Amino acid sequence: MTDEFSYSDEELIARFQDGNEQAYVELVNRYRNRLMTFVYRFVNDMEKAEDIVQDTLMKLYTHGHYYRNIAKFSTWIYTIAGNFAKTELRRKKRHKVTNLSQMGFDDREYQLPSVEPETGETAQGHFAEKKIQMAIQELPLHFRTVVILRDIQELSYEEISKIVDVPLGTVKSRINRARLQLQQSLKEFK
Amino acid sequence: MDRYQFEDLISDYIENNLSMSQRKQVEAYLEENPEAKHQIKSVKQAMASMKSMPGISTSAEFMNNLNRRITSEKEAKSVVKSTRSFAGYTPLMASLSAVVVIAVVMLGLEFMPESSNQATFTPAMTEQQINDLPVLPPKPVLPLKTNDSMLAESEEDSTNYDEDTPVKRNFDDKIQLVGDKRP
Repeated sequence: MTDEFSYSDEELIARFQDGNEQAYVELVNRYRNRLMTFVYRFVNDMEKAEDIVQDTLMKLYTHGHYYRNIAKFSTWIYTIAGNFAKTELRRKKRHKVTNLSQMGFDDREYQLPSVEPETGETAQGHFAEKKIQMAIQELPLHFRTVVILRDIQELSYEEISKIVDVPLGTVKSRINRARLQLQQSLKEFK
Repeated sequence: MDRYQFEDLISDYIENNLSMSQRKQVEAYLEENPEAKHQIKSVKQAMASMKSMPGISTSAEFMNNLNRRITSEKEAKSVVKSTRSFAGYTPLMASLSAVVVIAVVMLGLEFMPESSNQATFTPAMTEQQINDLPVLPPKPVLPLKTNDSMLAESEEDSTNYDEDTPVKRNFDDKIQLVGDKRP
């Protein structure tokens, strides 16, 4: 364990702004998997999700000096990742509309190969995960973002409100609606 | 409380964010509607399922790829820096330096002592030659004439002008036409 663990995110970004690259590496290590989970659940494409997380962390490297200590660092970085993810989904949607007829065998969505043969329990777990992931993808984007941030990333309502830049009441209402819709979708999957 | 009001409060009820009176209203509704109880249970399950989903990790190549991108970003920056500088000066710094140098030279010329300027001239006359010049007698100082005094001295009255008899002037001796044989 290094000394960097004793620093808060905000202290680390301040050190990075002063030219300490080790602080940047520490921030990358803290956030890359969290961001990966958020983005993957959002775009449902492993390769694209990794690209988006890379873009987000590159943006942190090139535009780190733009961060001001008026909001939490996590709010700032999730906002960047969320914007990249939304842009990617819009691009994907346009691409799908124009190129649907030209899709070949190799254009299928990237999926991680299974390393171990699945036992009954893990297969059931994967099936359940897939069902939930599919249910999430059916949600409208403004519901999807907030419910992932709340129920998977476990962020506070206040932080989510800052990330998506909508009032707290709207965030609560959207999360409630998203949960009801998810519950309905999962019931249908059973 | 109707179904829609109940559905609006489901998350707050599960997360225990309702006031006492609202909570009592929801519980009363649940007592009357068993399907509402079932809905609460389903939403709780959906939330738990989301929470239990495994986290996703970046690939083993992630850090290498990121480092590569950072290195190329640094290289691109240094290329831009070097192409934008001349002998270590950026265009802005070079212009500022030129302005400062010109200003220093101008100020230096402005404040240069006059004796050093004179040294470069060769005087037309030496001091001795100036002393040898003959002394001229002083000119008599004439009294200044005013307009009134000049008018008083004049023999003609400038106001005595008769408009009916225009003055005829003879310019014959002054005009000579081309081919004129007059003497």
